[in-house]
Amino acid sequence: MDIGDMLERMRDPLGAPFYPPALQVLLVVTWVFHIFFVTLALGSSAYSILGFLRPSEHRLRLARVAARLTPNAVGLGIVTGIAPLLFVQTIYDPIWYASNTLSGFWSVSFIFVVMGGYSLAYLFYLKGSADGKLLWSAVASFVLLFFAGWVMHVLASVSIRPERWMEWYAPNGVIDTRGIAFHAWNIPRLIFLLPLQSGLSLSVVLTLFAWYFRRIEEDAPFMNWVADRGRWLGLVISPLYAVAGLLWAATEGVEFGIGVPVGIALAAVGLALTGYFFFLKQPMQQAPRTLLVWIVALLTVGVVREGIRAVSLARFGYSVSNYPYIMDWGSILVFGVTTLVGVAVVTYLALVLYQSGGTTRDSEVSPRVERFGSIATGMLGAWFAFFILVGLYTTFMLK
Amino acid sequence: MYPVWEGLFIHSAMFVAVVSAFHVLASHLTVAAAWFNLYLERRAVYENRPELYVYLKRSALGLLVFAYVFGAMAGVGIWQTTTAANPRGISTLIHNFVLYWGSEWYMFLIDVVGIIAYYYTFERVNPKTHLRLAWILALGGTGTLAIIVGILSFKLTPGLWFATGESLNGFFNPTFWPQLFMRFALMFTITAAWALLIVTGLPKGYFARERIIRIAAVMGLGGLAVALSIWFFWYYPALPAHAKTILRSPAIPPITFTVIIGGLIATFLGLLFALVMPRRQHQIIALGAMLVLFAAIFGAERTREVIRKPDIIAGYMSSNQLVFNDIPARGVLREEQQLNETGMLGSLPFLPRPEQISVAVTNSAGHQVAMGRVLVIQQCAACHNVSNQTAITVFDQRLALRSLAQLLERRKMTTAPKIETYLNGIGAFPYMHPVIGTPEERAAMALYLEYFVQQQHAPQPQAQARR
Repeated sequence: MDIGDMLERMRDPLGAPFYPPALQVLLVVTWVFHIFFVTLALGSSAYSILGFLRPSEHRLRLARVAARLTPNAVGLGIVTGIAPLLFVQTIYDPIWYASNTLSGFWSVSFIFVVMGGYSLAYLFYLKGSADGKLLWSAVASFVLLFFAGWVMHVLASVSIRPERWMEWYAPNGVIDTRGIAFHAWNIPRLIFLLPLQSGLSLSVVLTLFAWYFRRIEEDAPFMNWVADRGRWLGLVISPLYAVAGLLWAATEGVEFGIGVPVGIALAAVGLALTGYFFFLKQPMQQAPRTLLVWIVALLTVGVVREGIRAVSLARFGYSVSNYPYIMDWGSILVFGVTTLVGVAVVTYLALVLYQSGGTTRDSEVSPRVERFGSIATGMLGAWFAFFILVGLYTTFMLK
Repeated sequence: MYPVWEGLFIHSAMFVAVVSAFHVLASHLTVAAAWFNLYLERRAVYENRPELYVYLKRSALGLLVFAYVFGAMAGVGIWQTTTAANPRGISTLIHNFVLYWGSEWYMFLIDVVGIIAYYYTFERVNPKTHLRLAWILALGGTGTLAIIVGILSFKLTPGLWFATGESLNGFFNPTFWPQLFMRFALMFTITAAWALLIVTGLPKGYFARERIIRIAAVMGLGGLAVALSIWFFWYYPALPAHAKTILRSPAIPPITFTVIIGGLIATFLGLLFALVMPRRQHQIIALGAMLVLFAAIFGAERTREVIRKPDIIAGYMSSNQLVFNDIPARGVLREEQQLNETGMLGSLPFLPRPEQISVAVTNSAGHQVAMGRVLVIQQCAACHNVSNQTAITVFDQRLALRSLAQLLERRKMTTAPKIETYLNGIGAFPYMHPVIGTPEERAAMALYLEYFVQQQHAPQPQAQARR
């Protein structure tokens, strides 16, 4: 069977419930948030180990903060990972399902690996981070979390090489249903996306951390040191990021015939970040801007990554733009209303966390945020009325 | 249509079952615990009873670490395990309900950010603000429940969706409302066990201890009574006739009912004990109650999954991942009819043509057996153990999920001709789907199954190709 025919045949016959390119945009945007938290978890995990291995007063203090941050970042990485997982299954179902079944054992193991990494990170935070005991748990946690990243990397690499699927599934005519082989990978891509981005995410969050606690005077020396560490880390890693990007372009990019544009885009991101960190003279004060710069950089990487996927599948005539779809107004209505409510409530929760967290010692949630909270909570309550009404309408009227 | 992942040592379906049961326990806990905590926090605020915050803080930390994060991970685990075990089944759900799942994700985001805010702002924000966070957690959790029940219940009763193709009809299907309220009630029983676990971990001198135990026990017993009432008077009557037949068939082993009913009785007695003798409560008893509930939930969720057999989506897609019914409103055509004429091999992605199949695995047994292996894996492996890859031996006991070798031996169908006859008539069983493919392909399947049966007894396979 021709690979193009195979991919078309594998598409779900129901089609997508919404305009597929819009789902593609959502896929890229939600991946940015996911990869930010995932790389932050890896970065903070690494720092929580290094800080205890080469201790100084500031390093130890920061290592304890990193130990606390790691499990929370893992949790947020998991939660934000659900959204791109939904969209990739909708518009790239043939390649996602094929790669997950070809690597079935690792696909299933993934979550147990993450659970192990999270548990050990929490163990270190609760029982070890005060005095550096149980450092092995932090190391084991880092190894497991990185391994989980490797598994996802393999799944993505397998998914964009459909021309080799049968060779992997039925080598020499014998089908292999164990799913234990790592069929494909690209080391420059892995280094670019995981260790280097972990360093950069950590770098950005260090400056943000210092900025958030900037008003506590007795902590000023520590916070200045943290912000400087953040800038230094960004400055050291950004050129490596550019080099890894070029290597990624020279390998996977060239494999799919888009080495030049991928190389230009990724090198430009790396060099731009180098320049940004070089000229960043007040890392603490300009931390929010640094975060914005990093999000834009990740968005660019997300677009490049999506471009590689699109080009790899275009070889066989597969395109998101010609994915069959219907406009399923029922689900669009439910999603639209829930989006309004969800954004309002999460914004309120974030504001409460921000304002109560310690910009000063006796912080309190402002009356404006309280008013907003009343509205957001009311919207959440009203959502149930909406949901029940839609349900009753469907049950009794929609025939 | 997709590669088959059989599982390794443990059958792929069992990975799904274990991860799902854990997810149900954790996710149900988050919803009802949020309501229970809200109730206690309201009393703490309006009756000025600050001692209740000791319990609330302990409970919130446990929920944050265990229920929300592990629940979330297990949720992703369900995606991974179902994707590997039955990709086209999950694909049907995704392509109908991705935006509902997106909506659930918002509610879930509210839950996770909410529990972080809730836990880290104890004593940092004023009590009324904190109470609002409790409200948000309770409502957000209930939102996730309301949405996921629509998707889950669709698998058993797609209802008017067959005619209209509208996702709303599939979502608000005939078993949606009873299942929603039944689960909501049962959650309070799970939360009662959780509350007992948390409160018995507090110091003996904690003077709200007995009061909380009593409240939790009443709530748990009430939840159990309501859930059982809904089961008998609303949910069971709404089940399709086919599901009721399966419930009474050998597809569900009697041990499952023993576990479910025994678990419910044990839970009832445990909560009654807590209500009558709150002072005698101990953390070990509470932990036992949680484990008993986990076993009962595992049994109940497995039963819910099995009663729609042999379909993965009742009336639409069978466990072999093939569509067997037209959905004109969505332009979907059945796939099985054509495959019976053209044959399976070479007609679907990842099913090689006969000449591409090697005999390497089945050794001397011949090419027909090798062909049969490919077909049996494609059609049977979703529910059955069909090779030694997904069996383990513990104390001389071979553990395998619905092993076809054991099943055929029990029915004395151990030779290829008998197995072929059996395969041709299998569609008459209520929990089995007709075998798809040409007569030649069914004969090849029978040969492989004969080989598989013999493999269980002899170190060297003796089966020979007969044709």
